[in-house]
Amino acid sequence: MIWIGNVLVSRGEGGVYGERMIGEARVWDPYRSKLSALYHAGTGVDLAPGMRVLYLGAAHGTTVSHVADYVDVVYAVEFAPRPVQDLLEVARRRKNVIPIMADVRSPEAYAPAVEPVDLVYQDVAQPDQAAIAIKNSVFLRPGGNLILMLKTRSVDVGKEPGEVFSETTGLLAAAGFNALESVWLAPYYRDHAAIVCKNARPVMSRE
Amino acid sequence: MKSYWFGDIEGGLCTPFVAGPAAAAARIRSLVTSMDWYDPPDWQQAVACGVCRDRAEYLSILQKVCIAGAEEAVKEQYAQKDVELLQMTRTLDEMDTVINILSERVADWYMIRHPAFSRKYRRTPAHVLIKNVALRDRRGALGEVARGIARLGEARSVLAQEVSARACDVMPNTSALIGGLVAARLLSHAGGLRQLARLPGSSIQVLGARTALFAHLRAHAPAPKHGILFQHRRVHNAPRPFRGRVARVLAGKVAIAARLDFYRGRAVPEFLERAQARIDSAGTGNTVP
Repeated sequence: MIWIGNVLVSRGEGGVYGERMIGEARVWDPYRSKLSALYHAGTGVDLAPGMRVLYLGAAHGTTVSHVADYVDVVYAVEFAPRPVQDLLEVARRRKNVIPIMADVRSPEAYAPAVEPVDLVYQDVAQPDQAAIAIKNSVFLRPGGNLILMLKTRSVDVGKEPGEVFSETTGLLAAAGFNALESVWLAPYYRDHAAIVCKNARPVMSRE
Repeated sequence: MKSYWFGDIEGGLCTPFVAGPAAAAARIRSLVTSMDWYDPPDWQQAVACGVCRDRAEYLSILQKVCIAGAEEAVKEQYAQKDVELLQMTRTLDEMDTVINILSERVADWYMIRHPAFSRKYRRTPAHVLIKNVALRDRRGALGEVARGIARLGEARSVLAQEVSARACDVMPNTSALIGGLVAARLLSHAGGLRQLARLPGSSIQVLGARTALFAHLRAHAPAPKHGILFQHRRVHNAPRPFRGRVARVLAGKVAIAARLDFYRGRAVPEFLERAQARIDSAGTGNTVP
């Protein structure tokens, strides 16, 4: 990761969403991107130039654009048409963003387009976040990483965030993910946790 | 034979698919059902196939295909009848809020100008006061703002009529049951006709009562009896002890009506008649007719 002092940046064409620039570098604000918050609050997974990333819940392409600055290719999946309009604009200006409008609950819809990836990054406001991650792990190569941004309040508002968190990590562990790190994203985000896992299954799974 | 988005491979022989991004996007859609669940596409195979020279070109072609596919998908979504109604309804509700806030503000301002003025005992609704101010203050900012609000109000009534008419077209059964405006508001809170059609009656009953519902789920507040449905005359005219019951019965019928609207798309008189009778009887405390 590229840090200038204690500011996280990425190198690429700026002006995507009015982000601040330090010279040629785009400031990656932890208050606007949960992935940046993870790099500030914990360790995360180092993004490397050769990496292939599957990004679930791409939204308006803000974080996608930063990830794309670091890696080889980002397969960005988003379901809602309005954000997809913005995501498409980001894709048109970046060679390595492959936008896909599909429901992350039905990965078979985009399976024909997506290569095996080194990292699955998930940030979706759904109640079944662990199930979605497990479903999409077919794309993850053995030893690859999963970063799950857990919105505990989307899972169940009535439950304590800590309880939702331990349920989710339990489900992931049962599905063959080894937890590497889990961080609460305070003070950047409330009731959000980042879970970083390693895919411990030996072969690409075929469901 | 194995099929990929860039071509078909059979016995080591590859037939490339060359028909432009839009056709390739359609092909990806068709591959979904026919293919063995996950058979990863490989850019080197695509190179061997003669589709591209290197990885950069592979990604560039794939990106064009996916952009075309996503553009088409967005277009399709927006072509659905309920999508524009959703935005119209949300605009209408937002306009109501804005007009109310601005009117109150202007009324306060007007009272400073006229220290002897009070709205007590006058029964002057804010919009009438705004019209008076707009007429009286011909030159100053106050009058200009008041005229702006009055114009907004006119735009609002035009919009309300259109929302109502569009709702009757998009959701004929629900609109017949609870009126176009209330139906449109339910739609806007559910997020679309498909979403509304999939909601259980109990959820429809409390649509729009978010604060109360979450207070109930989180703490020990009583459960809300009604949300948007309160705007229906059968609910707000019912005597207090019956309101919850009427709202529940109405919500159940609305759930059926929304499904008829989504799956059949036309009015079903025999359902409407029976539903209406059931709702009417709920308000009187009588049992099923």
